[in-house]
Amino acid sequence: MYRLSKLRFGFPIGLFLMLFLDGSISQVFSTHLFRTSATMVSHLVVLWLVCAVLFEDRFDIPVARWAAVAGAVFDLYYTGIFGIEIFIFPLVVYLTRVLVNYISPNFLSGLLIYFIDITLVEALSYLASRMVHLTSMAGSAFLVTTLGPTLALNLALFVVLYFPIRGVYNWLK
Amino acid sequence: MQKFSFNRRLVIIIVCLIVSFALMTLSVAIRNKRSTPPLIQQFGNDIVGLADRVVALPANGLKGSVSSVSELLNTYQENQQLKKQVSELAQTKVRDQTLAKENKQLKKEVGLNSSLTDYSAISAAVITRTPSSWQNQVIINKGSSAGVIKNMPVMSGSGLIGRISEVNKTNSKVELITDNNDSANRFAVSITTKSGKTVNGVLSGFNADSGQITMNNITTKAKISKGDKVVTSGLGGVTPKGLYVGKVAKASGDDYGLSTKLYITPATDLSDLNIVTVAVTKQ
Repeated sequence: MYRLSKLRFGFPIGLFLMLFLDGSISQVFSTHLFRTSATMVSHLVVLWLVCAVLFEDRFDIPVARWAAVAGAVFDLYYTGIFGIEIFIFPLVVYLTRVLVNYISPNFLSGLLIYFIDITLVEALSYLASRMVHLTSMAGSAFLVTTLGPTLALNLALFVVLYFPIRGVYNWLK
Repeated sequence: MQKFSFNRRLVIIIVCLIVSFALMTLSVAIRNKRSTPPLIQQFGNDIVGLADRVVALPANGLKGSVSSVSELLNTYQENQQLKKQVSELAQTKVRDQTLAKENKQLKKEVGLNSSLTDYSAISAAVITRTPSSWQNQVIINKGSSAGVIKNMPVMSGSGLIGRISEVNKTNSKVELITDNNDSANRFAVSITTKSGKTVNGVLSGFNADSGQITMNNITTKAKISKGDKVVTSGLGGVTPKGLYVGKVAKASGDDYGLSTKLYITPATDLSDLNIVTVAVTKQ
């Protein structure tokens, strides 16, 4: 099914588009997103990956493999510290797959799953950054200044982009 | 069978964790020790950088057009203020030119080819920014083929904004001084006080709450007051002398009362960067 559909090319193209859009959004809105009191990080790549799992039905998209590729590009191109997102992105895909088995995916349960995913991404990348001394932020400060605002931004993006992305996936099928 | 698959999953998780630790440690070590990343990483980054421009150029262009519309609204007021400043600047510029000329002649007479203040500039555009809260890092569109070398200072507008942290062939990463990791903002600076004394020191961090650069462990007796200008001292490394960092906002005793701690307001708005300048020292 997957090999015969437009998804075969559409999915990776969308993935990289989202990856680069993350960087461009961070650059264009940097005055608003990276305030010292509240840091909001957009995770459109994670949104694209989670939506792939939510909307795939019988099309077996190799999401985890592409997640690792996106993670590798993220690590090398954006941060320069290899070995963080390359493991976090596939883990998020795996977690979403597990959760989708228990809850049937619709808009509201998708929102819930995405909430858990973003929390996981931010928490793990915080732990990794603490370990390699990229940051010295305290855990409580992380919850207030980074995790909270980031969740708010990404859930808002989920609400806005859920139906357009579903449209894109339906068109690609 | 159930037990076997659980064990296998556990092994996979542990192997992944170990590999992740190893890769992170390795890449941090490479980043700290070598002047350029491995060739494969450079090559990959160059290709991704080229692909990114397809997305980044329209986005940055859109931003430019939107902000030019909003800037149009307060143009009149700004124009009034700027006119005043321009007439003062013309005077300063002429004097600056004369002094630069005189300086050149004097250097020639002494036989000095280049001093700490000499540098040439490479201007670069910001392609994108790292979407991460842990690294305040932007990616610029000039790399080693344009002469950029790791650790060179980077300026925007009127002041220092950071240093080059990784160099590829056609793009490089700039760590901003707002980044609080172990190596981002250690610049050697000097302050000339109102009484004419020079105080040397090293920038030590960035206070995220107030948006100010901090400078610790100053043991001088010279009185540093609010508004004193902080510039790079050119000591130790590739940073030229005389790059403007900011103004002293507050001088207070440190936590133990033994030395002075300074708070410095940065010269440029560090959150809004479009065009930056890399300062290349002649060595």
